[in-house]
Amino acid sequence: MTTSRLFPSSRFFKILTACAIAIVIAAAPLMPARTAHAEDKDAAAKSFIQDLGDKALTSLTIQSLAPDERERRVRKLLTQNFDIYTIGRFALGTYWRQASDSQQKQYLKLFEDMIVQTYSRRFADYDGQKFKVGGAFSGGHNDTLVKSEILQKDGPPVHVTWRVRAKNGGMKVVDVVVEEISMSVTQRDDFRSVIEAGGGNVDALLKKLRSSTGNAAKGGDSKHG
Amino acid sequence: MNFVGKMARRLTAQRFMALVLCGFLAASLSACATRPANSQAAMASTEIKDPIEPVNRAVFKFNDVLDIVLIEPAAKVYKAVLPGFVRDGVRNFVRNLDSPIVVANELLQGNFGGAGVSTARFVINTTAGIGGLVDVASAQGLTYRDADFGQTMGKWGVGNGCYLVLPVIGPSSLRDGAGLAADTYASPVRIISRNTDNDWFYYSTTVAGAIDTRSRLIKAVDDLRKNSLDYYAAVRSAYSQKRRAMIEGDGTGAGNGAADMADIPDYDAQ
Repeated sequence: MTTSRLFPSSRFFKILTACAIAIVIAAAPLMPARTAHAEDKDAAAKSFIQDLGDKALTSLTIQSLAPDERERRVRKLLTQNFDIYTIGRFALGTYWRQASDSQQKQYLKLFEDMIVQTYSRRFADYDGQKFKVGGAFSGGHNDTLVKSEILQKDGPPVHVTWRVRAKNGGMKVVDVVVEEISMSVTQRDDFRSVIEAGGGNVDALLKKLRSSTGNAAKGGDSKHG
Repeated sequence: MNFVGKMARRLTAQRFMALVLCGFLAASLSACATRPANSQAAMASTEIKDPIEPVNRAVFKFNDVLDIVLIEPAAKVYKAVLPGFVRDGVRNFVRNLDSPIVVANELLQGNFGGAGVSTARFVINTTAGIGGLVDVASAQGLTYRDADFGQTMGKWGVGNGCYLVLPVIGPSSLRDGAGLAADTYASPVRIISRNTDNDWFYYSTTVAGAIDTRSRLIKAVDDLRKNSLDYYAAVRSAYSQKRRAMIEGDGTGAGNGAADMADIPDYDAQ
């Protein structure tokens, strides 16, 4: 009696074991390959950020650089290494869809000018800071979050995390997070407030961007905003 | 000592400040509870609700002027006149005095590891670190961590309430403002200073700590001022992100978790 009762159950376990072994065998080659791939990706993102930092520190921080030349270099480095379309579109938030094609185009151009000028100012104020890349971890999509520290002469290190997205075989920065504050989120909230104050019209933002980037004359708006 | 004299002495500046703070919190509480009709827009504007934005903006402007004419120049003089090791001494001393509050909050958050580190730091720095002037514990790998009651309540699941700009103190929220009041009320330094008629000690360490903190934020504040279109909105956003990270993050301030980070959509994939 006991054997006949045990028999089917032991066969059940045999099948189960066989299945488990089959799954392990099938998955085994995949598992190390996946982690190796992730490690490669992290390492690639880290060296991308290290390169970017090195390039910026050697070519943008020269004190004697003329403002126009610094801006030209910053623009080149930014457009090559930052996904300005993605950052700009994110920063416009829900108003992106409300904006006309022409408004979107104008906005992206002004947004690029704004961040070029922001980074130009930052590099002009360079004061001997050093750049150290730390660890990296996966951040969803095709993103790698690369941690870094900006070491100051006087003051604590500033923690900066770079969101690097693998795209079309290359890599682009899509967000810069300084001390847990996302520059893209801050900009989105900043822009949203300007648009809301202007009655929900994207033109209010365009106008303000024009005057802050010195494009007011070209844009055909009155300077006073 | 007659009764009136005693009463007058008791109604010191700190009590007055506490009264002002309580009044402010109470006023905002009612404002938070009765949201204006355009609350939809207010809620959509940032992570943190700001139903009393006009009041906040007025206080923000006052703080900004105060900062420009008084606090920032004082911080700049402090930075220019005192060598780095003296300024570090000020920071270490003030942080060490604040340790009991940090430990209490870490315990309330159930962060026993953190509370152990903070207690060890307090013991080591108070003795070997000459009353807290030298942060010898950091060299032993016991690095500084901050904790406050606003954060504790956040970890307990209490929401922000709403955004609140406090006079002089700056960006806060209904929850964090109440937390600050509780931390201040419970501060052993404040209690001991008052009970021994040494109020000056509490005030001067508070002011020194504030000037020191401001002196370390000169570049950051300057950057946000220059590079934002609406400085008020940018500060509000930064405050709400920072507090969220302090409540949901691992507490090291280094942004170690992907969960701390804003998600940037992949627009090409849509």
